[in-house]
Amino acid sequence: MRSLLNAAKTGFTEIWAHKTRSVLSFLAIAAGSVVFIDAFSAIFATYARLEKQKEISGMARMKISQNYSQTYSSPDDYVPPPVFRYEDVLRLREKMPELYMVSPEGRDWRNVLSYGDQRLTTSVMGVTPEWTKRDFIYTLRGRFLDWNDVENKLRVCVLVKKAAPPPGFDKAMMKKYNFTGGFDMLVAHNDMLGKMVNIDGFTFTVIGILEELPYSKRTRPITGNSQDYKILAPVTTLVHYNFIGQQSLDINIDTGSEQNYDESMRKINNFLKIRFGDGDFFIVENQLEGIRERIAESIKSALVTISLGMLAFLAGGIGIMNVTLATVFARTREIGVRRAIGASRRDIMLQFIVEAVMLGLIGGVLGSALGYLWGVPVKVMLGMGGSPVKPWMPLVSVFIAAFTAFIFAIYPAWVAAGLKPADALRAE
Amino acid sequence: MSITCSELTKIYEGGKTGWPALRGITFDIKPGEFVAVTGPSGCGKSTLLNIIGLLDEPSGGKYSLNGRDVFTLSDLERSDTRRDEIGFIFQSFHLLNRLSSVENVCLPMMYAGADSGEMHKRAIALLGKVGLHGKEKKIPLELSGGERQRVAIARALANSPKLILADEPTGNLDSASSKEIMQMLVDLNAEGITVIMVTHDKELAARAGRNIRMCDGRIEK
Repeated sequence: MRSLLNAAKTGFTEIWAHKTRSVLSFLAIAAGSVVFIDAFSAIFATYARLEKQKEISGMARMKISQNYSQTYSSPDDYVPPPVFRYEDVLRLREKMPELYMVSPEGRDWRNVLSYGDQRLTTSVMGVTPEWTKRDFIYTLRGRFLDWNDVENKLRVCVLVKKAAPPPGFDKAMMKKYNFTGGFDMLVAHNDMLGKMVNIDGFTFTVIGILEELPYSKRTRPITGNSQDYKILAPVTTLVHYNFIGQQSLDINIDTGSEQNYDESMRKINNFLKIRFGDGDFFIVENQLEGIRERIAESIKSALVTISLGMLAFLAGGIGIMNVTLATVFARTREIGVRRAIGASRRDIMLQFIVEAVMLGLIGGVLGSALGYLWGVPVKVMLGMGGSPVKPWMPLVSVFIAAFTAFIFAIYPAWVAAGLKPADALRAE
Repeated sequence: MSITCSELTKIYEGGKTGWPALRGITFDIKPGEFVAVTGPSGCGKSTLLNIIGLLDEPSGGKYSLNGRDVFTLSDLERSDTRRDEIGFIFQSFHLLNRLSSVENVCLPMMYAGADSGEMHKRAIALLGKVGLHGKEKKIPLELSGGERQRVAIARALANSPKLILADEPTGNLDSASSKEIMQMLVDLNAEGITVIMVTHDKELAARAGRNIRMCDGRIEK
């Protein structure tokens, strides 16, 4: 312990005596620390996002939709394919109560909404209360549609209020992403809750407003179908008032867990066969695969970043090795003197290793501070979206910096310890 | 500290056959002796001193230190022997320039694992003994040549060695300082420490109890 302290003291004296050289070594290892912390915080951010997305979207998703690629040879052969109606949704629910979510969607693409003296085109979507079970990235004012609304085909609706565009959105992008659209403006600038609106000649009561979470607090659903919702109404109401008439519904399903996914898939296909016959009238899209692929991709890019961090440390380590070797050659005579007055090989090795580890430690601390600054305020200022730096990241980074320095100091220290005292004393 | 050498040889590597620095040296030194080794430059005096001080290994022959055959010692045992039983004094002092006088004197005790407080006390006492009272905090560059050599002597005495090896201890000093340093060595010898000194200076050599004169790697009869 005492020899360690003495080595640390000598190390500190040496580091202080060669400030330029030491600062360069710090910087080399600090660069490693910065990249490492950045890599880890990026990975952590990715994982946190994935977890959040899993929570929001669920893993075990699938979607039933009409198969539009049905072919027929002449118009005379054409038999209108069966459609998935609300009754079929109810039947599926009855057959498979274990499913976490069975959420039908039927969209009418072009509607005219009148409110006061404003008339604008928009799009209304028919859903059920199950719509809120997944991809719910909103805060709700008022209430959402309930089963009473659905069963009684009530003319009630919920309006979606867009979040303010993320910072850095210019006018062209605003237009592209429809931030300036009439409907969005209407909802943004008027408190529509409890108001009556007219959609294609029918009066609807606005019972709720869904406000999109701001961009900073939102994670995009991983299921890939980020629909642009504007007006949500009971699906039965839209059928009843002939908004979507005979249109086939899309059904978003969540089986609740990955374990029963394949089994549920098989059962659903079976259900479709029994109910609609053998023609491939519907497609059951396996979304689990896609989600898994995305997660695998995230992990892959995380590994790439980590290996970049490791490379940076490697470069820093080589820097330290270089400096330590230079130190050994510059202090050969000192090594001779120390050996002459009784230092063992172990003492000499310890001295150079401790010195290098101190370089690594200080560099690691410096790099951690820079890494933290880079990860949080600088990246935010540059609009890159800050990645969270957890307290353990600088600690691990300092440890790795010190460990790298240790590993790379072994060879120079071994060279130093191997010098013959008489030869070392003769060195100039 | 008794030293027994017989037929010691040292061949430096290089060229086809190497370069022989010692060609068969045989002598005994009894505990408490003061021996001066003299001879022209390149005759192998320093090589001999390095071998006696375990800083270098002989190529052949026998060397026993206090009855122990040094060929059988491990590197660690050699280090420990240097630390505990031998004190070195070099022509160019070989102090560590970044350390103060007292820290230089502390070094051998530090390697011996001494308690830091004790170590400091002893170092200050030793510096007082060599007449450097009040200069404990000075670094070598702030001291004169004679003072530096005194620090080196204090350092050599740190672990109470039984043998002092001095390689041209006055070679870089003026005559006044030389006399003082020589007197110190004589005094140390009077305390019972065996002293072996390599020197060019015949006057200094004359003050030693015994002279060994070397020429071309051999002892002159």
